[in-house]
Amino acid sequence: MSDAPRKAGKPIWPKIPAAFVRAVLAGHSSLGLAFAALIYLVCFSGSVAVFAREFQRWETPRAAPMRNVSPEAVQTAAYAAIAKVHEVEHVYINLPRRDLPRLVLTVDGEGPNRTFFADADGRLIDTPDPVWTNFMMKLHADLHLPRTIGDFLVGMVGVALLSSLISGVLAHPRIFKDAFHLRWGGSKRLQEADLHNRLGVWAMPFHVLVSTTGALLGLTTIIVGALALAVFQGDMDKAYALFLPPHPKDDPRPAITQPLIVKAMEESIKRAPGGRLAYVGLEHPLERGAGITVLVNHPKLMADSDSFAFDGQARLLEAEHLSKANLGEKILGSVSVLHFGWFGGGAVKIAYGLLGLALCAVTSSGVAIWLARRRDKGRPAPRWERLWIAAVWSQPLAFAGSGLVVLLPMVPASPAVAIGSWLGLTIVVGLMTAWISADALSRGLRLGSGALMLAVAALWIARHAAAAVDPMGWIMTAAIAALGAALILTVGLKKTKAAAA
Amino acid sequence: MWIIAGWAAVAATSIVGAVVLGPVRGVFIAWTLISVSALALVARNVQIRASRQRGERSLAPEPSDRTSRAWRGWLRALLAGPIGLAAAMGVAVCFAVWAPLEDQTRIVLGGVTVPILWGGAMAWTLADDRILRATAVLVGTAVVTFAAAVLKGF
Repeated sequence: MSDAPRKAGKPIWPKIPAAFVRAVLAGHSSLGLAFAALIYLVCFSGSVAVFAREFQRWETPRAAPMRNVSPEAVQTAAYAAIAKVHEVEHVYINLPRRDLPRLVLTVDGEGPNRTFFADADGRLIDTPDPVWTNFMMKLHADLHLPRTIGDFLVGMVGVALLSSLISGVLAHPRIFKDAFHLRWGGSKRLQEADLHNRLGVWAMPFHVLVSTTGALLGLTTIIVGALALAVFQGDMDKAYALFLPPHPKDDPRPAITQPLIVKAMEESIKRAPGGRLAYVGLEHPLERGAGITVLVNHPKLMADSDSFAFDGQARLLEAEHLSKANLGEKILGSVSVLHFGWFGGGAVKIAYGLLGLALCAVTSSGVAIWLARRRDKGRPAPRWERLWIAAVWSQPLAFAGSGLVVLLPMVPASPAVAIGSWLGLTIVVGLMTAWISADALSRGLRLGSGALMLAVAALWIARHAAAAVDPMGWIMTAAIAALGAALILTVGLKKTKAAAA
Repeated sequence: MWIIAGWAAVAATSIVGAVVLGPVRGVFIAWTLISVSALALVARNVQIRASRQRGERSLAPEPSDRTSRAWRGWLRALLAGPIGLAAAMGVAVCFAVWAPLEDQTRIVLGGVTVPILWGGAMAWTLADDRILRATAVLVGTAVVTFAAAVLKGF
């Protein structure tokens, strides 16, 4: 970059009054500080959750990947899974897709949902549940709180993030002028402000997209409730029925035959030529009022599924073709796809992971700016500085720690173990702020996180190397090890720089 | 000149994405990758400076100092929280009841407006020093929009 003074051009952004910018900045600051920790947690878990399907394969590497599966194999696997669970209400069957080339069956019956994997012939494979992936996804979706409260809280975090983006743009009068400036290593405040603004502005489409879709997903219950009250006199079932396939007539008597899955799948693909069978859902499969839903994907479209509803005897109840869907149905079908980055293969997933981490950095630097401003004004807040460092760097440590505990052969992997180890590590790091300085805490937590990630990779190799047949297991292990090494290197690099200075 | 070239590159990438990868999907893929590429360019242009203990003089604007009375703080929190949500929900319900669109479209578009309007209300009420004005507008919006929805029939 040249240091020569440049001729100032005519500004292309309208002149914003300084008093307005200062007022918006005050709102931006107070909102950001109030929600910083929650926003950071949701963004960090979201960045990891982008790779949920890859982590699921990493946790179950003994299940061989497959490109296709026959309807007969799906039916065999479904019947076998149903036989293993009492009082089955629903069965959700995900057919092999590019990023999850598995036949995965989730059975909702007595007790918690159970996940099964099957081979290409429909035989169930003896492989453990992807406990850590489920823990991480649920942390992102509802923070492991009671569902309604957790969903609402995460939805509100999305709204707070969206609001911060609005006020952030309004409080940024030099948005274009500074678009490519990143000054590193000068004053702490300037460095953090440059990082905050560049990451915030250039990734703005992503930030707006994930915060809006995230808020919508989290607030669905309350929004649908209010809208149903207005449009359908409070009947929420009527509102949901507009978007979901019809239920077969309720008949709880025991079924004479099991649901005819093969026939329903064959009928669906006949009605959606060029598509790819993606999903089969069973409702009350052991009752005479059983229902079958089949989704057929069209990969080039954003909202990508044609939907077919059948009764248990595979008689067609309704066919919903995407080409005939209205705007509302198309938007609704795109929300999750857009939120999790499931629309563009591996490149978009990696981009989503990086941009998600950028959002974590925006959140982290926002609080760092406030702390640096206080320090510059002679009112440092060392306790808050330590707490914020702990909040930021405790999460890589706690995520890696919970992954390690779940992998340990002597510990029975369960959701409680994953949650307990994550929560325990987070609390311990919080307590460490009482006697460890912010700098030492930052270095120690990065070193600890890196070491734990390397340990996770080593333990995975020790446990699965001999029997792993899914290459994604190795790819994810290599990525975890590389990230761990990179975290450790950041500590080493900083030390070298400090010594040179 | 550079600004025009930059915007032209963004437009060209979006159009190519739409043509090659699908009209909606392609644009979203293009914008995702544009963000990452632009950040890579910013990182390439990073200016390394000597470390300083004391802060340099910053041109960045400072947040305004506000009157810090407890009732204003509580009212501001109420406006940004439940009252803002009620106003946003009122607009969404009014839209869902009155918009001459298909059922699914008016419900989904109404739903999408809730987080956007609530976020906007939050940004505004936390910034506006005239807090009573914000109160009047948000409460008024909630009352008028819900009343309009009731008129059509609950």
